[in-house]
Amino acid sequence: MTIKYKTIKEIKGMISSKEISNKEIVQEVYKLIKDNEHLNAFITLNEQKSIEKAEVLDKKASDLPLAGIPIAQKDLFCTKGLRTTCGSKILDNFVPPYSATVIENLENAGCISVGKTNMDEFAMGSSNETSNFGNVFNPWGDNLVPGGSSGGSASAVAAGIVPGASGTDTGGSIRQPASLCGITGLKPTYGRVSRWGMIAFASSLDQAGPMARTAEDCALLLNEMCSHDNKDTTSLDEHIPNFEDNLNQSLKGKKIGIVQDLDLSSLDSEVVKVYEDSLKEFVSLGADLVDISLPNLSLSVPTYYVVAPAECSSNLSRFDGVKFGRRSENPTDLEELYIQTRSEGFGDEVKRRILIGSYVLSAGYYDAYYKKAQQVRRLIKNDFDAAFSKVDVIMTPTTRGPAFDIGSKGSDPIQMYLEDLFTISANLAGLPAMSVPNGSVDKKPIGLQIIGNFLDESSILNFAHMYQSKTNWHMHTPEGEKK
Amino acid sequence: MDKKTVTTISYLSRLKIDGEKQEKIIKDLSNIIEFVDQLNDADTTDVEPLANPLEKTAKTRVDEVTAKNLKNELLEIAPSSNEDYFLVPRVVE
Repeated sequence: MTIKYKTIKEIKGMISSKEISNKEIVQEVYKLIKDNEHLNAFITLNEQKSIEKAEVLDKKASDLPLAGIPIAQKDLFCTKGLRTTCGSKILDNFVPPYSATVIENLENAGCISVGKTNMDEFAMGSSNETSNFGNVFNPWGDNLVPGGSSGGSASAVAAGIVPGASGTDTGGSIRQPASLCGITGLKPTYGRVSRWGMIAFASSLDQAGPMARTAEDCALLLNEMCSHDNKDTTSLDEHIPNFEDNLNQSLKGKKIGIVQDLDLSSLDSEVVKVYEDSLKEFVSLGADLVDISLPNLSLSVPTYYVVAPAECSSNLSRFDGVKFGRRSENPTDLEELYIQTRSEGFGDEVKRRILIGSYVLSAGYYDAYYKKAQQVRRLIKNDFDAAFSKVDVIMTPTTRGPAFDIGSKGSDPIQMYLEDLFTISANLAGLPAMSVPNGSVDKKPIGLQIIGNFLDESSILNFAHMYQSKTNWHMHTPEGEKK
Repeated sequence: MDKKTVTTISYLSRLKIDGEKQEKIIKDLSNIIEFVDQLNDADTTDVEPLANPLEKTAKTRVDEVTAKNLKNELLEIAPSSNEDYFLVPRVVE
């Protein structure tokens, strides 16, 4: 009896039929983590507490919705008493005295947080190469990036170590690694999931969400992650549906928006073929393809690289060596304490983004860059509003291609920024979006992006679930197709 | 983007960029700024800036203390503290 590559739904069944004990599950997770140490997917483990929680569940069965389900948590969420580094040297000794709301919600639903997953430093990266704790490897190849920034979470799920993980997505950090690792990941509507206790990168874009093997499992996790939270002033006080209930709705007559302004000519022809084949599957499920226009889409990456660095330069000013985290040794005065601590504690990509942020927010440049980017952000949102008056969901490839080799993007940061070409617009507009495995290129998985209207996670989950009921791409693992 | 600008924004960011890394940073920042200059292609006359997708003002609540006092726990994880304060190098001589 093994839990490797099993879904949350399957493990729930195994627990309730007593095929496996909660303790056996947790013990196997730590064995799988050890077997897969070369992936470098985890920064900190939570072994003893996880086994204790499993033993409690074995003594007294629980009817909590996710009782005993082992979950890997991205190391960006504060976890009470468990080191939280955000992939950075500046936080390599930080043990938070409280947990993020998302963590509390999942643990209150019975989940066992088995460990904290590796990530790009402060979630700034698309390949996990910016982590202070070393690159994460993608289980689909020897030298492949897992994507980023939630690369450790994606790699751990793809390797079958855990059935699900938490991630966060500021410009594609759930969807892009999900695509590159062949798993399913969802970024909810901005405000759906509380940001309290999440280490902030760009506050108007950041959103936490689930990463798992199937859309159905993402629905199960999202049910627990969402809540209205008074501790986050942007947390939405809106009805939270049971996302599982809306799965299995017919797609007959549903409309899929196909973006006419998207230039697919620069993509590998295999990537385009995978995308077009999956659209055909949806047509055979009864959906209609409708041409839509998002004329400002090509400006989403430049908009993001003003807005996100501006917010990051402000958010990361809190890391000053005074209240928590690392402090440089023997500073001569307070100013030098700030400068030395930050210069030693942050990596190159984080510094680059802080500097860009300081530049676009500084006197004389504010209107030309920051205000201009916010105006273009409005145009992008207006484009989506117009499109969603005609369609139920919008589909694009998630990424420009499958996983690439570590180090292959060279030292030009813009090449890496363009990785998020298809995903960034959903963050700028605050819309829910997910990535679903839909094929393979050069024997590496790749994903389809489904973007939904504001607060309509139910529709994208249903589209994804219906697709997964008809195809088996989500069943593929690095060791072959799952039986 | 030149050495003087990078020195200014580095100071604003309380970051020190070492000599050998300065040239690379100047080049990277120049490329990034040139890249985001594409925004000028968009006509944004009379377009209201969008700072947050929710466009809601922050919610207010009754002025009651709800947060737990974590003073001791927070002081404990500070790099340097006594029983009441975070400690930093002397500011006033």
